[in-house]
Amino acid sequence: MIEVAARRGRQECFTNIQRWTYTLALLLSGITLSEMKCRVVHGILRRSSSFNTGRIEHLYQNPQTHTEGNLKLHYGDLTDSTCLVKIISQVKPTEIYNLGAQSHVKISFDLAEYTANVDGVGTLRLLDAIKTCGLTNSVKFYQASTSELYGKVQEIPQKETTPFYPRSPYGAAKLYAYWIVVNFREAYNMFAVNGILFNHESPRRGANFVTRKISRSVAKIHLGQLEFFSLGNLDSKRDWGHANDYVEAMWLMLQQEEPEDFIIATGEVHSVREFVERAFGRVGKTIVWEGKDEKEVGRCQETGVVHVKVDPKYFRPTEVDYLQGDSTKASQKLGWKPKVTFEVGWFESTAGWSCWIALAHI
Amino acid sequence: MDLHTCFTSLGDNFVGDEMPDHRQVRHATAALSRELRRVHGILRRSSSFNTGRIEHLYQNPQTHTEGKPGSGNLKLHYGDLTDSTCLVKIISQVKPTEIYNLGAQSHVKISFDLAEYTANVDGVGTLRLLDAIKTCGLTNSVKFYQASTSELYGKVQEIPQKETTPFYPRSPYGAAKLYAYWIVVNFREAYNMFAVNGILFNHESPRRGANFVTRKISRSVAKIHLGQLEFFSLGNLDSKRDWGHANDYVEAMWLMLQQEEPEDFIIATGEVHSVREFVERAFGRVGKTIVWEGKDEKEVGRCQETGVVHVKVDPKYFRPTEVDYLQGDSTKASQKLGWKPKVTFEDLVKEMVDADIDLMKKNPNA
Repeated sequence: MIEVAARRGRQECFTNIQRWTYTLALLLSGITLSEMKCRVVHGILRRSSSFNTGRIEHLYQNPQTHTEGNLKLHYGDLTDSTCLVKIISQVKPTEIYNLGAQSHVKISFDLAEYTANVDGVGTLRLLDAIKTCGLTNSVKFYQASTSELYGKVQEIPQKETTPFYPRSPYGAAKLYAYWIVVNFREAYNMFAVNGILFNHESPRRGANFVTRKISRSVAKIHLGQLEFFSLGNLDSKRDWGHANDYVEAMWLMLQQEEPEDFIIATGEVHSVREFVERAFGRVGKTIVWEGKDEKEVGRCQETGVVHVKVDPKYFRPTEVDYLQGDSTKASQKLGWKPKVTFEVGWFESTAGWSCWIALAHI
Repeated sequence: MDLHTCFTSLGDNFVGDEMPDHRQVRHATAALSRELRRVHGILRRSSSFNTGRIEHLYQNPQTHTEGKPGSGNLKLHYGDLTDSTCLVKIISQVKPTEIYNLGAQSHVKISFDLAEYTANVDGVGTLRLLDAIKTCGLTNSVKFYQASTSELYGKVQEIPQKETTPFYPRSPYGAAKLYAYWIVVNFREAYNMFAVNGILFNHESPRRGANFVTRKISRSVAKIHLGQLEFFSLGNLDSKRDWGHANDYVEAMWLMLQQEEPEDFIIATGEVHSVREFVERAFGRVGKTIVWEGKDEKEVGRCQETGVVHVKVDPKYFRPTEVDYLQGDSTKASQKLGWKPKVTFEDLVKEMVDADIDLMKKNPNA
């Protein structure tokens, strides 16, 4: 019986909840590339006085009564080393996916210490807990590293060998986590790997991450619930993929014989501006841009109404202008390729959200 | 002349004592007495006496009286890099113009056992200091020096190492310092703060912490010379380092903060020696020739003159992941700061052994 402990963060960790739910679905459905099947998935849940399991209740055996089946949840926190030791010694997992983090880059500028504590030192606490429990040689550990490590990119496209240059407290914290994982791998021969995942989206993306913010806003505008929304740097360029494809890569990394770090990316680059244009295109609106910098607006050509504005409060003190990943290594060694394209991914995103809005309306 | 204040974060008096902070305080006081009026230090609370290495800086060391304003002397404040509130309090009170972050758990080997503490003080502690400066609205007036380290290079990607050489840390200490390095860069780029990293290669002196290998050797050689000890144990004898003198290096730190523009610099001699060589030269200072016999954990260093074994190898000192070789290229510092190391390797070893002989003579229990 294989037991897997997947780390989970809370509301900030929208990306992680997103990733986590797709990972769980993958594991629990028994879709594997090998003979062995996963039996139980354990998740660590941060305590909150408000309900915070909304995005995973579909994984309960009985969502109405919140009865757990193959998913078992444990209260814990990456800032609390004792509970990590307790949970890991109790569960004795064979695979651990550390997806827990405060993962919003802009917010990390205001919450730098918390971000360092959870994303950076939290990763160390998890590795230390594995070591304390004597599981260094039996657990396979996946670390959610990020394209944000490349920051002010030193090479285009970015490869596993491209030097890092973080541009935010989030990037610096994740950089610490990356290297402490490498250190545990080299010092203790632990099977510990970094998945350097470029941006990955889905309808489950946290609401204040730009892609989801756009899809939600477009849906609301389409339904007449909103007139305009504000963005930051429209010319920021990213390599966006679908979370579902990416979690498959995470799992593949832990099925290898040898621990290695991999970049997971589509290799395709689009700007925030393009994302906006395509999103509105989906609901039959053509956006034309007028003005410059903070005065720039996106106006609907068909109706003349302004739907997009720029608010400098969304600008980052230090920006990451361009990210483009080269996932050749993953393609060759893991046989991984992204399946969902930018266009298709987008359709799913708006369709998913539009559907929800329609239901809510009812 | 304007009243400047220089603010140092004194190294924790845990086993990983940072020698340079104490040196820095002395040097800063001397060098800045021309212009500087007061040096402030942050001291960790301890129920045991822990100011032994700075009491010579008190106005009155016997009564531990701190100097008055205008005398360029030292003023201490209780604080800790793990406590952000106290940092804000102290910085808002002192309003320093220069801050040298020398506080850290700085023993590499120990960081493997104390990884979280090391990350908290060395990594997040640096962030707390930068955040405190920002909170106090001093981003545009304070000059900030970060004690970065050659340990960032770890499994060196280039020889010799330059400011542009990619980092590859090999210990929890290295990883924590890597975080600190980049958070300093981020504050510099994001907020236009004058914040710099001094990437200092190993620097030693008679004030080095007792369990750092060079001082461990000089102390042990002194004790053996005085008949107080028969042998001591080391780890990897073939580890190679670029060793300089702390006094030279703190001058470089200060020079970095006197520049117009904030930049990161490597400070190093460019000369490489092994631990083995350090041992040989140290014993040479007391007239003993060491010959090596055996291999790996069984290797010993025997005195040729007396036949007695004075050095053994204990695997407990081996690091899980080693840094085999460090060699720094300080051309940039030489060109832009006009900095050059003055003390040679030979003189460094001599000074350390001589000082420890004096010390052990006065106090065999030291």
